[in-house]
Amino acid sequence: MFLPKRGAAADLIVIGASEEITGVYAEPARNEIRGMQLAVDQINKAGGVLSRQVKLVIEDNANNPGTAVEKARKLIQVDKINALIGTVNSANSQATSNVCLEATIPFVDTGGHTDSVTGQQCHWTSFRTCHSTWMETHATGYSIANKLGKKWYYLAPDYAFGHSLLDGYKDIEKKLGVTVVGEDLAPLGTTDFSAYLTKVLNAKPDVLIIMQQGQDLINCLKQANSLGLLKRIAVAGPQGEIENFWSLPKEARVGYWGFEWYYKSALVTGKNKAAADFIKTYTDLYKQPPTARSVFGYVTAQQLAAAITKAKSTDAVKVSQALSGEHFQGLWQGDAYYRDVDHQLIWPMWFGQVRGDGAGGDEWNIFEVVDSQPGDKVEKPADDQKAVCKLNYPA
Amino acid sequence: MIEHLAPEIVNGIVLGAFYAIIAIGLSLIMNLTGTINLAHGSFMTLAGYLAFTLMSRGSNFWFALAASAICTAIIGLVVERLLISPLYKRVPLYSLLLTFGLSLVFEEVFRLIWGPSTVPFSAPPELSGATQIGDVFLPTYRLFIMVALVVVMVALLVFLYRTRLGLRLRGAVQDAEMLAALGTNTQLLYMTNFGLGILLAAIAGVLAAGLLGLGPTMGNDLLMPAFITVVIGGMGSLAGSIVGGLLVGLAISITTLYLPAASEVIMYVLMAVVLLIRPRGLFGEEGIFG
Repeated sequence: MFLPKRGAAADLIVIGASEEITGVYAEPARNEIRGMQLAVDQINKAGGVLSRQVKLVIEDNANNPGTAVEKARKLIQVDKINALIGTVNSANSQATSNVCLEATIPFVDTGGHTDSVTGQQCHWTSFRTCHSTWMETHATGYSIANKLGKKWYYLAPDYAFGHSLLDGYKDIEKKLGVTVVGEDLAPLGTTDFSAYLTKVLNAKPDVLIIMQQGQDLINCLKQANSLGLLKRIAVAGPQGEIENFWSLPKEARVGYWGFEWYYKSALVTGKNKAAADFIKTYTDLYKQPPTARSVFGYVTAQQLAAAITKAKSTDAVKVSQALSGEHFQGLWQGDAYYRDVDHQLIWPMWFGQVRGDGAGGDEWNIFEVVDSQPGDKVEKPADDQKAVCKLNYPA
Repeated sequence: MIEHLAPEIVNGIVLGAFYAIIAIGLSLIMNLTGTINLAHGSFMTLAGYLAFTLMSRGSNFWFALAASAICTAIIGLVVERLLISPLYKRVPLYSLLLTFGLSLVFEEVFRLIWGPSTVPFSAPPELSGATQIGDVFLPTYRLFIMVALVVVMVALLVFLYRTRLGLRLRGAVQDAEMLAALGTNTQLLYMTNFGLGILLAAIAGVLAAGLLGLGPTMGNDLLMPAFITVVIGGMGSLAGSIVGGLLVGLAISITTLYLPAASEVIMYVLMAVVLLIRPRGLFGEEGIFG
């Protein structure tokens, strides 16, 4: 009897990508796809994987976990994918991760940061390339105390993501001896932040830590600027997405943020030739420099291909084991590895300032990296993670 | 906590004035033609984007504000003549569905032209900065918004109560058929009225863009509070829209101080309470919608 194997029909390695092509994360999603596409093109030009060409099948999950589940099932059942990568929105990452476990398909979360993907709801099939929220708060926590002061005010969005960021900072604040002079949770989608910001002005902290994202962050910064807060109090946050800052007016491009990668900094790329080549090829191709999102996509596709090559198979268990614990040279200084205890990629995180105008004749160049923290220092210790995350590989 | 109340009240008034101006536009259109204009927010966003485009081509803020408001009102008139006016004789559900569809179309068109994320729109330098009076920080841009909205409201009231056209508009709200029988071109009145509503939305849209991120959904995010303002103030009453707007703005700001988690839900609670006590809204006239 003829039984077609997964992806064997056209003798291709098929990788599915689930991304937030429509909705508020359209831009980060597009950059992740560009990174993946570039990696796949380079792999195919170099002869493919296991002498087979790699095909990337991209689906729009519409920034909705229900749709993400449907699209993951479609990719698995109809396109017969060998592995799935992608997602920006944390809820989509977790939902997709769960579907892939049921279908025993390796899944690499490119850009959803919620701790649970490599924490309480980790699976042997799931990996994550971007940093966890824990890593973001800890990396920036050290740098903020170091560079800006120890009197903090928290402003967080009132939903799961905001709460988990807040938990992260509360853990680090004890280690650093920080005084917290105020804490506010603003509902998601708040349009007017001035009420919160006047409270901050009166509390006079050294640093206002803003955990809002996307539209909320933009509204908050524009209003902080018009209140004159930015001249009085330093603002900082766990994650500065350059896609957001490019779309802000110059006077609101301010503050100190956690950076997950940056294309123009010796602290990030150092003398790494692979990084220099990547930046040049990417910029020539897309007429825009790569962002952290592009790197998530690129590194994910590249490492997945490397794992399939190493496993000499597309079997989920073999690929997962090949990916897990393998050290590699990324697009930054120093090496990286998907940690075997929870499948989180351990790599450095950076910290720096945003400026209004591009520097050095490059309008895109609006970040100034001032500090970096090693990945293993800022992620939960492996021993602690063992108690939370049970991978349960099949026997 | 009481010492923080003063700045919150100022914030609340500015926010309220903002909701009021949007609500007045909605209310004007609703009163005369029974059209519940769900595309109102889209016209706000459109005006914001037009102003952004003009400014990125070198125009100053003031010219951009005026030109984009007028262009948006003209686009509004075209939409009214071609799409909405044929539905005036039908029940409001038809125009409701049409404007809802329009708002979806607008949003996608904005995405196609200006991209899915926000564009960098900033208030002019002469309006940036803030003044501190005691514990109260007053951003210049917010003060400007408040003044601008007061000017717009006064101009509107003068127009409605001191001009012939305004008189006819008010007459048409009471009895359009009789007015037509007396020889007034009511279609022209409907058009003027719609254009006026959109002009107000457009001004609010450009002002909002300096305060919020200008993205495809900016106007629609402001539409719900504006509808609630209309309901609280009472359908058919301009004074109601103003008072309703201020109530909503103050309620949101003061709740933010004491119970941030409830700051988004407070306006719905306020609406429910008002409707329980006074089903037609604070200043509403009875039977405006049958």
